[in-house]
Amino acid sequence: MNKRAKAWALTAVMMTFFIGPSRAAEDAALLKDMTSVIALLGLPCGQVVSVIKKGDNDHIATCKDGNHYRVFLNADGRVVAQKQ
Amino acid sequence: MHAMHLIGLLFLLLITGCTGVERTPPQTGAAPAVAVEPSKIGSTEQGVAKAESPDAKTSAKVPVEQPGKKPSATLSSGKKETSPPLDLTALETRLKETKAIGVFTKITLKNQVDDLLDQFRAYYQGRAKTSLAELRQPYDRLLLKVLSLLQDGDPELAREIVTSREAIWSILADPAKFATL
Repeated sequence: MNKRAKAWALTAVMMTFFIGPSRAAEDAALLKDMTSVIALLGLPCGQVVSVIKKGDNDHIATCKDGNHYRVFLNADGRVVAQKQ
Repeated sequence: MHAMHLIGLLFLLLITGCTGVERTPPQTGAAPAVAVEPSKIGSTEQGVAKAESPDAKTSAKVPVEQPGKKPSATLSSGKKETSPPLDLTALETRLKETKAIGVFTKITLKNQVDDLLDQFRAYYQGRAKTSLAELRQPYDRLLLKVLSLLQDGDPELAREIVTSREAIWSILADPAKFATL
């Protein structure tokens, strides 16, 4: 029992150690992706500071300048950024 | 003992998973020879063109050979200099494969490339009143956008695009070549 508890504790520590940074990297990549998309579409934003995932290919991006955009893939396969 | 096996397996999986992450592109000695006009980076496709002459050519500079560079450079840099210009298909493949830009950005770029190709199609079919010289402007703008996205994350591809700029334009500007796309 003691061994099992130690094993679980070790697993939990390892998960935190590896998954934490990997998720942070994913988040940073998504922020960069959203920033690029909004800039490509010529909309004012500056830099995206946070992203909330609403669904598959559907996000709400918050910009440094206070603007909010819903960035999603429409039925025609086009990326659309809608000001909220 | 069973738990220790489990931990061992988990470790192995984590290490295997981590080996493929964050591979930095090969560093070259020279700085990326891509110059992007900052005022154009944020410009939109729909934006009004600035007072430019219609035949205004590139604003991104083609890489200039360094004066002190000897011909007996390393094999890799020699390869880069002699690499053939990209055509549209190769460019599309390279852009799909690059890790420098995200999925949404790739789709947005593809949308904008398709829009540009539609403009050319309309021009060749006589449906558009634009001239070929006027189509050069959105082409240059789009290429600058691509370069601004790639210059930090994939400088090698950015360099290849700069050197392929005229080759790609020659395909678009030739109705016979364009028809094969």
